[in-house]
Amino acid sequence: MGMQGDFFQLLKEQGYTLGSPGLAGNGQELTSATTILAFKYRDGVLVAGDRRATAGNMVMYDRTDKVLEIDRHSVMAIAGVPATAYEMVRVLEHSFKYYRRTQLQELSFEGKLRAVSKLLKENVAAALAGTGAVVPVFAGYDFEQGAAKIFFYDILGAEFEGVEYAVSGSGSPTIRGILHYVNTWGERPLVELTEEEATVQALRLLTSAAEFDSATGGVNRESNLYPIIKLITQDGVRVVSDDRLKPLFESKVVRHV
Amino acid sequence: MYEEPYRWVEAVGNRRTYLDEQFRQGSPVVGLVYEGGILLTTVSKGTSKLYEIYDRIALGGMGHPADLEKLRFNLLEMAHVEGFNRSPSDVTGSRLVKYGIAPVIKQAFEEVYKAPFIVRILLAELGQKPERDSLLTINYDGTFEEMKKQAVLAATKSAQARMWEYLNAQMPASCSLDQGLLLALRTWAIGSLAHRQESAEGLEESGSSGDSLKAATIPDQAALFAHLREVLADKTLECAVLDRQQPGSSKYRALKPAELTRLLPKDFQPIVTG
Repeated sequence: MGMQGDFFQLLKEQGYTLGSPGLAGNGQELTSATTILAFKYRDGVLVAGDRRATAGNMVMYDRTDKVLEIDRHSVMAIAGVPATAYEMVRVLEHSFKYYRRTQLQELSFEGKLRAVSKLLKENVAAALAGTGAVVPVFAGYDFEQGAAKIFFYDILGAEFEGVEYAVSGSGSPTIRGILHYVNTWGERPLVELTEEEATVQALRLLTSAAEFDSATGGVNRESNLYPIIKLITQDGVRVVSDDRLKPLFESKVVRHV
Repeated sequence: MYEEPYRWVEAVGNRRTYLDEQFRQGSPVVGLVYEGGILLTTVSKGTSKLYEIYDRIALGGMGHPADLEKLRFNLLEMAHVEGFNRSPSDVTGSRLVKYGIAPVIKQAFEEVYKAPFIVRILLAELGQKPERDSLLTINYDGTFEEMKKQAVLAATKSAQARMWEYLNAQMPASCSLDQGLLLALRTWAIGSLAHRQESAEGLEESGSSGDSLKAATIPDQAALFAHLREVLADKTLECAVLDRQQPGSSKYRALKPAELTRLLPKDFQPIVTG
């Protein structure tokens, strides 16, 4: 046995457990991460996240990367407890590679989704105790169907497809409404936006979230701090650099704030 | 039955004879450093002989497919568990070999009442810097060697020596991927011709027999390519690189027919098939 290419199983056989089993904790004092969003645009999927990590009222860190590349064609954006989320990303990254290298074929997109679900289920005890809740958005390119896709999860591991968009984190209620409005009554639906238009939209959405949610970090121009925006297309994952975000923010976002 | 020491020595000696025999039909493997990374080349029929082990580590093998698979899985398991528990940069070819599979292979080889691994392995590791690149070869008895720029696997010692000599003499200080590929193919052909010649002459492991096939008879380039064409009529050219420029953490890439066609000179292209 052990020939199925299941890395998580291999880790478990070596005595590994994901996160700490549920000790009743006080969720207020844990570090948590905040607004993430993903939507489909003309060429694929855009995934974005603000950069603030908070613990209660305290800002822990303002340069967090919550949009993490798992492989060349998939990205997981994380909201919730970063310690657990980063660990999940590490497990997933190694799982997908291990599968590809042992089985000599890429894990299917559906297989990748199941892997995320499985990790979340593994983490239910910690999630319910308040010490390890993670609510991710998973996006990637599905080569079997020839399309980029978005999925979001609840803390128990249930998976839902975001047909047009998905959001998560404490700032998400604000922008969920905006996304619905823009997508339904805007000049054009999100899926018709060009790369640049989509990027501007993402910057505006995150700025709105920061406006109403103290746990979401906005753009900080003095310290050259911009959100993380990644694009997934057939060619793989691409990061939109700060050098591109800066002029877009200044010309298309700043006057509305 | 092996309690007397000399019987054990004799049994181990028999094992060598038996194992040497097992590689007769095998296809040589060539590994060399080019300016953008490391190239592995072999010719296979059906099952692949080149594999990705970790972000910067690749494997080329000869021998029994089932044994190769077993060791490949060992390597993959070790590399991924180590890479996860520590960090990907702690996974090195030399640790995988020295503390990983070499002892396992040696033990299997010396436990004369059990089956040995019928394998020869080449492990290529792309260093963080070019000067840290390394190529390791492991024999069926667990002995291993570490090289900096090139390494070869062949069925017999003498064939291996001839390939090594040729490659060593022809290896430029630095070469592009297409130059490296041609050199690897010529070196492969040297090994393959040596195998053929040795089987024809039926002069097996008389030890020093390799000397009779000395460098005097190095075929010219045309003869080497003619041999390749002949062999590749019913076999597949298999090439993989560890490409320093490849985006992302995984540097391994098998060269697809389209890329091979682009790299090889025009008169050589018919040999590339799906």
